[in-house]
Formats: sequence, structure tokens, C-alpha cells
Amino acid sequence: MIRKRASPPLTPVQVAWLGALLASAQWPLWSHLLIWNAVAGAALVVARVALPPKWRALTGHRRWLLPLLALAAALGIRTELGYFLARDPCVQFLYLLVGIKFIEARDARDGTLLICLALFLSLTQFFYLQTITAALSAVPVLLALGGTLASLRSGIAAAASDWRAQLGATTRLILQGVPIAALLFLIFPRLAGPLWGSPTEAGARSGLSDSMRPGSISELSLSDAVAFRVDFNGSPPPQAQRYWRGPVLSRFDGHEWRAVYKLLPGRFVSRQVRPIEYTVTLEPHGKAWLFALEHPSGLPRSPTGDPLAPTSNDIAYLTYDQQLVAKAAVAQALRYTQRSSLRDSYPGTDDNPRESLQLPLGNPRTLAFAKELRGRVDSDRAYVRAVLDWFHNEPFVYTLSPPLIEQEPVDGFLFDSRRGFCEHYAGAFTLLLRAAGIPARVVTGYQGGEMNPDGDYMIVRQSDAHAWAEALLDGQWQRFDPTAAVAPSRIERGLGAALPAGELVPYFARLEMTWIKSLRLRWDAVNYQWQRGVVGFNLERQRDLLRDFGFEGARPWQIVAVFAGAIFIWGVLLLGAAQLRRSGVDAEVALWNALCRRLARSGLARAQEEGPLAYTRRAGRRWPQWAGVLARIGQRYAELHYGPGDPKREQKLKELKTGIEALPRSRALNKASSSANVVTAPPETVE
Amino acid sequence: MTTLGIAGLQTQARSWRQRVRQLVWRLAPGDLDRIVLRHSRIYILPTPRGAALLATLATMLLTAMNYALSLGFALTFLVGGMVAAALLATFRNMAGLAVAPLGAGEAFAGGDLEFNLSLASGSRQRIGITVAGRQGLPNSVDLAPGATRPIAISIPAPKRGHLGLGRISLSSDFPLGIWRAWAYVHFPLTGTVFPAPEAGAPPLPPGHHGSYVGRSSRLADTELAGLRDYERGDAQNRIAWKAVARGAGWYSKQFEGTGGGGVLELHWVELPVGIDTETGLSRFTAWILSAERAALPFSLHIPGTVLRTGQGAGHRRAALTALAVFPPASAR
Repeated sequence: MIRKRASPPLTPVQVAWLGALLASAQWPLWSHLLIWNAVAGAALVVARVALPPKWRALTGHRRWLLPLLALAAALGIRTELGYFLARDPCVQFLYLLVGIKFIEARDARDGTLLICLALFLSLTQFFYLQTITAALSAVPVLLALGGTLASLRSGIAAAASDWRAQLGATTRLILQGVPIAALLFLIFPRLAGPLWGSPTEAGARSGLSDSMRPGSISELSLSDAVAFRVDFNGSPPPQAQRYWRGPVLSRFDGHEWRAVYKLLPGRFVSRQVRPIEYTVTLEPHGKAWLFALEHPSGLPRSPTGDPLAPTSNDIAYLTYDQQLVAKAAVAQALRYTQRSSLRDSYPGTDDNPRESLQLPLGNPRTLAFAKELRGRVDSDRAYVRAVLDWFHNEPFVYTLSPPLIEQEPVDGFLFDSRRGFCEHYAGAFTLLLRAAGIPARVVTGYQGGEMNPDGDYMIVRQSDAHAWAEALLDGQWQRFDPTAAVAPSRIERGLGAALPAGELVPYFARLEMTWIKSLRLRWDAVNYQWQRGVVGFNLERQRDLLRDFGFEGARPWQIVAVFAGAIFIWGVLLLGAAQLRRSGVDAEVALWNALCRRLARSGLARAQEEGPLAYTRRAGRRWPQWAGVLARIGQRYAELHYGPGDPKREQKLKELKTGIEALPRSRALNKASSSANVVTAPPETVE
Repeated sequence: MTTLGIAGLQTQARSWRQRVRQLVWRLAPGDLDRIVLRHSRIYILPTPRGAALLATLATMLLTAMNYALSLGFALTFLVGGMVAAALLATFRNMAGLAVAPLGAGEAFAGGDLEFNLSLASGSRQRIGITVAGRQGLPNSVDLAPGATRPIAISIPAPKRGHLGLGRISLSSDFPLGIWRAWAYVHFPLTGTVFPAPEAGAPPLPPGHHGSYVGRSSRLADTELAGLRDYERGDAQNRIAWKAVARGAGWYSKQFEGTGGGGVLELHWVELPVGIDTETGLSRFTAWILSAERAALPFSLHIPGTVLRTGQGAGHRRAALTALAVFPPASAR
């Protein structure tokens, strides 16, 4: 490395500050890293700070140590993850790299590099989490950043400085910067899409998928994680009508239901029923579908946005089977306003019923039972009712932990175990209908949702995941929920009410309201506000905000001008008006200097050691007609500048000022004196 | 009145461009008295570390934009706000600081000429104010509120003659070292650089007893007048044994009325033929210093300048200054 100038070596205080900065940048990432990486990176930082200097012989081998360790780290990460040039491996690498760089850091220049790396590293934690706690975990980074910069600045002198005083000074700087930061946060232009690459490598997130096999939804139901939150315009619908439609599954292979991707556009249900309006804040789930109450009567819009705005239709489209599919996978929290008509059927004109009649091989007992039952009734509708009655009357058990059936799972469930969760009932019901020649399919989504008393919004959790069925009867797709036939309380009151006693129910699905639960609901309300107001602050919210402040359609330069004005006011407030004003102490010096400059331009410079009285006397000899004025100026200046404190100071200052202003400008001064015979009386302004 | 006419022309010749250049760079010694640093004089730019930090912030901003990380924006802007607040703090640390010229010292060519300034902190504390001349080591001070303290700037003086302080800069990167604020101040301070004393100069020329009756002749022969460097051949009873015992070096006691013989006359014309001017000036300097040590009155006769016999610091300075500015302006 070529060094232009020797950089001072790091002092122990600087090393300690750097260690604090790196550690506070590293620890929020621990839970997102490979374990060996998390341990090694942290151990390197601790080792540099804690080990006595004689153990730090490593710094002497920096030439080969850094590249070697970095290469080893890169290879290790590549081996573990299977790829390297992507976001996550790079975060892993950066995490370890700061430790490697720190262990061999030698001088202040290395310190600068480490500061920059640590700052960027602390940003990467927000790839994974943007919760309140994640935000708070960045505060120590800011505090340590100020301390590290200050210690690097003052070099050896930092040894004596108190770290607590430094924290105080840094806090003051951060607080002073908060108005700027808040303003930038609000008006800095947000992008509608990414600049490069695709920010969708969110990893596996819990949520519904585009396939359903026995056990997949009951597994999901064990999770208390929030799927989405809903604000209703008006009162929320009753629990039994809260069917949040998600992926529709039409293809069955005997074990698993799968979605068919034919992105044919669909038609909205007619608005026979007055639609209700609500705003969904969807947690990122990495998939494209959006959830809406059955059945959507319009496309989702950005919340509170102008319904005529051209961008509002761009979020999603409706497929022929009434699914709302977003244009891009939901990789960050998404808010949309949706209208739905609360109906349990919609016209089935747009799609091909044969797709919903497809029957796989196998499950012969089920097919035979369906044929036999269909023969006993005279209409499709009566058949459906008969099947539901059969579910209701036979000893079926609604349970989160049904037995796993490998061979002919529907046969085994319907006729042997008779224990199942909603996916078993919905799947078996659909198969029974198809076997009788009725087009039917499985619909997955969420059913229910809990109002949060603290925030007046509804939380829909993964434990509300549900599967039901719909059948094409008389040209209408009609919703049927076989689970309701087995365990009506699931639909009426939720999972906790429907499961038999003794089953492990997810915490929030339980019915009783304990103080812990109410505390956690309160925390959820805070989180929801955070999610809506801070994390979910995007292009649309920004546009709304600007509109609320009357900046609708503002041109960029207008926004920049407003920002510049705000910065100026901020600066003036911080500096204090006194800083911009010439303070009274030195006013006479400024005036005197102005006079000296003017006389110097006229050819009479003040000698270095010449006092004010002598100088003005000399000037008076040169321009005799101004001698009186000049002498008084010199006298006043000497009194003001060298004399004791004077109660009449302000008045004398004014006299000095008027006296100097009475003198003609330099050229006029010379002209007046070159036509020396004309002696004009000096104006008597000074006294 | 011709001089006035010329002055008028000069005034007009100072174009606005020159005036702006003076305002920005302060290349001419235009600061006559105490200067209080104000916003018009203070410049601020990021230090290399500050530039690296700003580049990092730009990278973070791009990342936050690409991945739509609201908290990424928040972190970037919080650090940005801190950087902006640090800029103001750096400015505040400089603004209102007063600097005034005190005077210039003396030096022999080859040494360092010291200029003295005074810094006054005004109402607030000042931290890490670095004062630097064109050359030489910068000087860094902290000031308590309301404090005034002198500060010295040493400038290498390789040649005899007048040496101006030139433009100095006051700078500080307090508090975070990411911004450096500086101001140029140009006082018309000038010091005198005497010729370097000749090393191994010949001994003092023999004295002349002229009409001048020195103070020394009225003193008894036995009165101790001072010490001079020990020279080979000095009598043992003249050696300052006390000084030797203290380890201060070897000196011989000088008694009035002995040695050079009362008054020394330094005549340019008595220098050896063919000696070059600078060597001659150096030799005179060395002799003047020797005479001073020996408490010997001397007179100086060089082309254009005649100093009558005298003694003491003022006389010495006058003589050395005459040598420093030789040949004098009137003879040029």
C-alpha cells in the first residue's frame, strides 16, 4: 500500500471506540447469520479490544493476513450457502470482513475504513427486520460513531477525554440533526421499483402457498405470526362472513392440491350488495397474491389515493377465479384499500368447468361412495346438502394433529381415521363433488380475524389460515365450507373454540383474555402504527403527505427550494442569531478598519505601529479640510477601543459611524484636495 | 501632487477581480488590526475522512432506495443530520475567534523567526485551533471562554533581511474531524533576519582609543565586566572556575580596561581585500556578538551606514539590522 503521509497509529482509546462501533453494528445481525460466522466475526472484534498488545503480533502480518482470511471467509460462506454473488452472502462476508480488518487495523486510516464499513453493515440489518426493536438497535451505532470520529480526530489527546462527555456531545449532535433527518425522510423521493436487481430474496416466509397437502395448513395454524391487518371503513363484518380469499387450487393429483396458473382476467361481481371498504396492510409473504373478503368488487387501490389516479390500478389484477394477483411478489409490507361485496357466490361464466372436474386415479372408495350417494338424490344441490349432512352426522373430529395417511389419503381420511383439519375436509369435499360430476375447487385463505381493542383494527394471523370449497351450481360458483359442518364453532368463534380440549392451541387463538395477551395486543397496535407510518412509508404515502401539505403536483425544484429554506432556518436557529450579527464588542474595530482601508486607497496607508491619534493627525495634515473630522474619529476610536467600559458606548459608536460616513469616498477625497484652494467647511456631523 | 496622482491610478488599477482575489485568498497583507473571524472569512470543506463518510452515506442511500428500506433511509438521514450538525459545530468553533498581531522577533539567518499573535476566544470555548504559517510546524491550542492567549509561529529564516509573516491560516476540525474550517489572515508583520555569525571568525581586531570616552574607562581595572568564551592561552586566574564547576562550560573573566582596549571600531574597509559581502557581514555579526559578550563598546562603519560608538541591546540591534538590510535602500 502506498502511503502519501504516515497516518498516526491507533491509540488504545481509539481501538476501544472502534470496537464499540463494530460490536454495535454487528450484534443486530447475529440471528440472521451462519452460526460460525456470527461467532467468528464477534470474536475477532472482542479479541482486538481485549487481548494485550503483545498478542497483537497479527498486525505485523497484515500484508498476507487480510487477503488470506478474507478468502477463507468467502470460501466458507460460498460452501455453506451454495452461492456468493447475492445479497445475503455479501452481508455475511461484510460482517466477517469488519472483524478481519479490525484485527489488523494499525493506523487512523484503517480507522476511517472501519467506520465506513461498520456504518454500512448496520444498514444491512434492515434487510431482514424493520421492527421497532431493530430501529432501536441502530441507536448505539450512532452514539459509537460520534465517539469514534471524535477520538480519531483528536488523536493522542483523546486519552484524557471522558467517554461519557463524548456520548453527551454526540447525543447533542444527533438531536440537532433530527429535524434535518425527519424532513429528508418525508420529502426525499422514494422509488416505485428497485434500481437494480430484485429485492425479493426474502427467503422462506411463513404463509399460504400455491399448493395444499394434508398437514400444510394445520402446520401454518400453529403460528401466531401476523398475516395482515385490516382497517374497516365502518363496522367489520361478522366473523362467519370473514372469508379472506387467497390462492384457488384446482388441480389434484391424489395427494396434493395445486393452483393452476392461467392468468385470464376475471369480472367483478355485480354490486347487488352494498360493498364494504377496508384497508389491508399485508405483511410481506414473498408471493404475488393479495387477500380480499369474498368477493372483491373492485381492484385494490393505494390507500386514500385518488381513485382516478392512473397508478392506482397498477397494483394487481383479478383472475377469472376471483383471485387478486399483484404485479410483483409482495416483498415489503403493502397497503391497499379494497372493496368487497359480502356474498358467498359469483357468476361462473368466465372459466372452463372441465378444469374443475379433473379426477386423479386412486381413492376408489371415495369415488364409489360419491356415485352411490349421487344416485340417492335427484339434484346436484341436494347432493351437496347430503354430503354436508354426512360430514355433520358421522363422527368426524376437527383436530390440529390428524394422523398422517400415506396411501389413498382421502379414502383413509373419509372412511378410517375421520380426524382432520380444514384442508382434509375441503379437499375430500371437493373430490366428492367432482366424483359426482359437479365442478368444484379448493379455496385457501384466512377465515376470521381478531379485532385489536387498542387500535380498532383487525389482526389476521397465520393461525386463521383456512381452506374451503366452491362448486359451480346453476352457473354460480357457490361457497361451501365443510369444516363448518363438522365444527361450526371454527367459523363462528375461531380456532380456539373449535378444537377439542387438550389440543395445543396457538396462543392468540385461545379465547381467554389474559393480561399478557392484552399486553401483547397493545404492543401489536404500536407495531402496526410503526409498520404503517414508518416502515410502510413509500411513494404513495409520500404523495399523500405532500398533498395534505398542499404540495400536490409540486415540481422537484419547488420541493428542493422548500428544503433549502428549511435547512437555512435550521442553521440560523442552531447558530443563534448572534453569530450572524457583528457583535457589539468589535463594532468599532470594523469601522476603524473601514476608515483605514479607505485612507489607504487614497494613498495614505497606516503605518504598522501607528496609533489612531497619530494616524488621524497625519491624515489631517494631508487633507486639512477634514482635519477636525479625522481628529474626532481618532479620538472616539481610541476611547472606544482602548478606554474603560463606557455607559455611553452606543452613542459614541454612532458618532464614530457618522463621522466616517461624512468623509468623502477616496477619489473624491483626492479630488477635493488636489483643487486645494477651495476649502470647504467640514460638515459638523460629529459631536 | 504627483504622488497623489499615482495613488489615484493605483486605486483604479485594483480591479474588482483583484479585490475578489484578495477577499478569497488574502494574498496581500490587508489585515491591519485585530481580526474577528466571521462567516465571510471562514471556509469549510470535508476532510478526507469526512469525504469517505459522505461517500458511504451515498452508498447507503442508494441501497435504501433500491431495497425500499424505510429504516435504511432513516439511518442514513440520521447520520446525515449528525454530519450537518457537525458542520455547524465546526463553524461555530471558529466564528467569533479573534486574532491580533503582537509583534515579530529576531533571528539569525538559518534559524527560525518567531512571530507573536494573540488569540481571543470571545464568548465560547475553542477547541483544537491550529495556527499555521506558510512553513514550519503548525501550532494547536485550546481556549477557554473569554480567554486570550499569545501564540507563536516560527517561520524558517534562511536569508538575512526582512521577513514577512505572510498569510497564516487558522483551522479546526472540531468536533468530529469530518469537516475542516479555516480562515486566512494576512497581517503586515515583518521581522528582521540578521546575517548568520561566521563560524570560526578571526578574533576581534585590536581596539582603538579614540576621543570617545566610554563608560568603561571610568571603572577600575579590577571590576568584573563579563565573561567571554575561553580561548587557548588565557591566563589560568582568568578562568571562571565556578562556571566550569557548574558544568556550564569554559569561560574567561573579562575585566574592564583589559583585553581589546576599550572601544572597537568595525570598518568595512578594513576587511581583507577580496572577501565577499556575505562573509564580511557574517564576520561583522560574529564580532558584534563577541563585543557584546565582552561588554565592549563598538562603532560600525559600513557603506551607507555609520553607527557611532555605543553599547547595549538597542545599539546591538541597530548594528545587526544595518547588517541585515545591507546595502541600505538609500545606497541601492
